[in-house]
Amino acid sequence: MRALIFTIIFIFSTSPFSLSSVVSDIDKSNIELSTRFDGTSILVFGAISPENDSTSLLIEIIGPSTSVNIRKKVQIWGIWVNKKIAHFQNIPSFYQISISNPEHPILKKIENKKLKSQFYDFLEINSTPKDGNVVEQSYDELTRLKKKLGKLRTFEEQVNIIDKKLFSHKVNLPNKIHPGLYKIKMTLIDQQGTELSKSEQSVKVSKVGIQEFLSYNSKNNPVFYGLFSVIIALFLGFSAAQLFRWLYR
Amino acid sequence: MQIFLPIADVPVDLFVLLILGAAVGFLSGVFGIGGGFLMTPLLILLGIPAAVAVATEANQIAASSFSGVLAHLKRRAVDFKMGNILVVGGLLGSAVGVEVFRIIKSYGQIELFVSLCYILFLGSIGTLMFLESLSTIQKSRKSENTFKHKKKHNWIHGLPFKTKFKSSNLYISAIPPVIIGFIIGILASIMGVGGGFILIPAMIYILGMPTKVVIGTSLYQIMFITAFTTLMHATQNKTVDLLLALILIVGGVLGAQLGARVTVKLKAEEIRILLAIIVLLVCLKLALDLMITPNDLFSISYGSGL
Repeated sequence: MRALIFTIIFIFSTSPFSLSSVVSDIDKSNIELSTRFDGTSILVFGAISPENDSTSLLIEIIGPSTSVNIRKKVQIWGIWVNKKIAHFQNIPSFYQISISNPEHPILKKIENKKLKSQFYDFLEINSTPKDGNVVEQSYDELTRLKKKLGKLRTFEEQVNIIDKKLFSHKVNLPNKIHPGLYKIKMTLIDQQGTELSKSEQSVKVSKVGIQEFLSYNSKNNPVFYGLFSVIIALFLGFSAAQLFRWLYR
Repeated sequence: MQIFLPIADVPVDLFVLLILGAAVGFLSGVFGIGGGFLMTPLLILLGIPAAVAVATEANQIAASSFSGVLAHLKRRAVDFKMGNILVVGGLLGSAVGVEVFRIIKSYGQIELFVSLCYILFLGSIGTLMFLESLSTIQKSRKSENTFKHKKKHNWIHGLPFKTKFKSSNLYISAIPPVIIGFIIGILASIMGVGGGFILIPAMIYILGMPTKVVIGTSLYQIMFITAFTTLMHATQNKTVDLLLALILIVGGVLGAQLGARVTVKLKAEEIRILLAIIVLLVCLKLALDLMITPNDLFSISYGSGL
């Protein structure tokens, strides 16, 4: 696989293509979430043949979907209580977008358009008819909180372009990520934001070992999991009693 | 060393958890308490979701009470008949408690509910313990055994379904033990505590059981109730984190053994005042967290539709 990619990179970097195109690969296609998992990074690399100097490369990383509630603390009798104010159905648990040219003229417009299609369109709120202020506020809070948690990054890091032909980009994933399929989309765009060429990769993130065993059985075999937890606890209690009886005999 | 808890879904430091388990275990060894009522709020303060803290703590107590009941079995200090009747009430209480827990959790208010329960319990128990120890110290000459066995004829003896408890040398109605067991079952399931701090005084003062079988019998009931509560939480709420429980069990066992063997150069009343202060501090911290204006009014939670 790696050899093939480098061959393609070689061909691309020597042949005088006029049409815009992008080829890509990633340094790993699987990420294992063990109990020791403390974040990782994915290296995305490949070759582009830009139409001209104003062509830019966008890289998006889109994590598996989750449903999220936005809660607001309200004071009742002097106590702060969580109140659910909005719900986002099936939005990416992780989203990062980077560009090779941070000076791109319509950067803000691209960001807004992308976030709208990924998050804004999936908002449900509690009031009918939809209160415009609540809608805006919920959306703003979602993006702010997601950014704070490191689950949403917009144009924080630049995509490296080497010699106008090769690119590389390191994506850092936080220690708390959802298992599932992470899509990596590479898109060449022009000054107006028009898409010229695309390439897509994906990374499978899955729980392994004890992590996988416990979370799988807790969800899918709760009776077995409950009995197993009790038996393990009783066994440890018994062992402790025996051990200390033996120690202090 | 950081590890990721599979069910709590949070990264935590392994050594912090082990030390916490050992510290609470140590206190329970010194003070002769279960420690659940300290561990659950401490886990919550550490960032573990309240629902996971409660269910997982029940699992830990199943281990520690089993270990304890084995020691008391050797000394024949368990009244099985009384224990079994308490267990019947406890199973019912636990089933009801877990269902209440599930309903409140579905409203997204379980954190608040558990916090409020703890503030109420720790506040009243801490205050009572503090005042009682203060007055005991003041009239320390007069003080004898606090667990004084009162065997008088009270309302308990007017109830039907009387039965004989041989080990406890009692002939009383089965209704009070069922009700007491029921309350303990509720406490175990919504607060993740063994409930010894209520069960033991109730056995002595309400049922009139002799002190020698009280601890063993209470551990016997607590073991069954917490085991059942663990199973119920695992099936109804899916909030038992076995990895977290394992770490706490290991830390707790070591701490408790140390605590039981350390010679504390303090009088019983002074120990109780110290414990009362710890309890009140935890209570205060929980109360402040609910009352102080939060830095961030908004938060994210994962879950299904509105």
